[in-house]
This record gives sequence, C-alpha cells and structure tokens, in this order.
Amino acid sequence: MKLKVKKPTGGQIATAILLLILGILISMQIKSVKQSNELKNLEKARAIELAEQINQLRKENSSLRAQIYELESKIKEYQDSAASISKTTELLKDELDKVKILAGLTDVEGPGIIITLDDSKLPATPNVDPNSFLLHDSDILQVINELRAAGAEAISINDQRIVATTEIRCAGPTISINNTRYSAPYIIKAIGDPKILKNSLMMRGGIIDLLKEFSIEVKIEEASNIVIPRYTGTLKFNYAKIKSEGS
Amino acid sequence: MVVLILALVIGILIGMFIPVSIPQDYSSYVAVGLLAALDSIFGALKSTLKGDFKIDIFISGFVGNTLIAMLFAYLGDKLGIPLYQAAVVAFGVRIFQNFGEMRRVLLLKNKSLTKEENKND
Repeated sequence: MKLKVKKPTGGQIATAILLLILGILISMQIKSVKQSNELKNLEKARAIELAEQINQLRKENSSLRAQIYELESKIKEYQDSAASISKTTELLKDELDKVKILAGLTDVEGPGIIITLDDSKLPATPNVDPNSFLLHDSDILQVINELRAAGAEAISINDQRIVATTEIRCAGPTISINNTRYSAPYIIKAIGDPKILKNSLMMRGGIIDLLKEFSIEVKIEEASNIVIPRYTGTLKFNYAKIKSEGS
Repeated sequence: MVVLILALVIGILIGMFIPVSIPQDYSSYVAVGLLAALDSIFGALKSTLKGDFKIDIFISGFVGNTLIAMLFAYLGDKLGIPLYQAAVVAFGVRIFQNFGEMRRVLLLKNKSLTKEENKND
C-alpha cells in the first residue's frame, strides 16, 4: 500500500526498464540454449539410429547370404539326384549346366589369359591432359570386346563375372562393374584358347598397342588353369518375357 | 522494489512468449552480457542495502559492463582467444563478493533487530 502512494522516481523507472529488458534477454537466451541442445541431441540420436540400422542390415545381409548358399547346395543335390533317374533327366542336367556357364551362374575353370591393366606410372607432364594416362571404362570395354571376338568363353574383371547385364561404366575416379566400384589396377581373366586370346590383343594397331602409347601398364599372362567365379548378383527379368509360339 | 521485481518477471514472461530467440551465433555473447548485467544488479542490491545506491552508477554500470562484456567475447572469438572467460571470471567473482557483502549487512541488521527484540522482551 505504501509503495503505491510513493511516486516512482526517474531512476526507478529507468531501473525497471532495464530489468524488463534483462528479463526478456534471459528468457530468450534460455530458449536459444534449449533449442541448440535439442538440436544436438536430435542429431546424435539420428546418427545412433542410423548406425544401428546399418548393423542390423549387415547382419540380415550375411544371414541371407548364408541362406542362399544353403539353398543353392540343396538345388544342386536335387539336380544331381534328378539326373540319375533317367536318360532324359541326365540330358536336361547337361543342358542346364551349359546354360549356367553361358549365363555366368556357375564358377568355371579352364585355360586362358590374365591381363593386368594399371594407370600409367609416368610423372605428370605439363601441356598433356593427365586423363590420357589413366585407364577409362572405354579402354576396358575395348579389351573385353577384343576377348569376346577372339572367342573367350568366360570373362571376369577383378573377379566380377561379365554377364549379359554387366555394365562397364565410368563412376568418377572408379569404374563400376556389376554395380560394384573398382579402381586401378584391373585384373581381367578370360577363359579360352590362350594363344588366340593373347594374339588378338597384341594385334598390331590393336587395343594393347594403343594403351602402350599412353604408357599404360599392361601385363598379359597365359595360364593353363584359371578359375572365374560366378555372377553373385541377382538376375531378374521384370519386362522381358519368352515370346509365346502362337502369336 | 516490488515494481522492479515485477518488471523483471514481466520481462521474462514477454521473452518466453514472443516467438523470437537469440540466433545461435550470438548466443555466447549474450550469455556473457547477461552475466555482466546480473553483476550490476547484485551490485545495486548491495549498495541499496548499504544505503549508498546511486542511480547513475547503476545504469552506466549495467549498460557499460554488458556491452563491454559482449564486445570482449566477440573480440576473443575473432582473435581466437577465449576472452569471454575473463569476463566470466571477473563478473562471477564480483557477484559472489557482492552477495557476501549483502549477507553480512543483512545478518548484522537481523542481529541488531533480535537484540532489540530481546531488549523489548
């Protein structure tokens, strides 16, 4: 009651205004600190969650892969037992094996050549495009084409089997093969007649000549037995269907 | 006194309900400025209790210390030295000193009061 009677002095009014501003600032600051903390916690929680998800997916992936191997061995067992039933089933099994080789769905071995390609080791020289001294997807493609023309029966690059759907594509500083990225060196294995394969590559004016011009490192070895692994991806045909006879 | 506390409370409420908060980048400067302002208020309380409160000293201290503290923090950021720590330590120590003096004044007052009450008894 007494206070109301007292008239506030100019100093008191000034102090009151200052305190008002102080109060506003304090609560704004508290809000701001709270916000930043929440933001930090949110980011942390998100990172933890994502890491957990990755781990879970990895586990799932490995268990699914184990399942694939199990099922495959079971299929093989069935096929073997089916083949022993009669002459027809044996022929069917042979046909299946042939198709599998053709499609790249089974590990194969045989004589062939191993080509190792690596970027040029020459020091960079001015006025020359450094790109010319690197291996490109087109170089690899040419080698693969040459091998195919020479009758290679199975080809792999860095143990990625080349199948009908395989892409060999530039992906930044790497090359994407079967949607897996690889960087130099590239080891290309091809099964076929080693002599023919080698000669087709060494042809005058051929791909190897061209690559050597840019001092790209090429090594070709003949081997009496090389193993080429099967294609590990999935082959799914969503659009292509076998054409029915009548239509 | 009641008016002052009311002003502070109203300020806090206004700050809570306006949809503006201090940008993240300036948050640390404002924190140091707030510390300086709080120091001024404790100083004012102390001098009020002692009876030698001067409004011009209070206002100049409040505004000046706050601005200098913020400037110091900003300068420290630019120079790569945590100068804001200087402000934190200086004002922190002063707040405790002020509080200590206030305590002493209040306790002495109460003691004399109780003595008087005792006498009255």
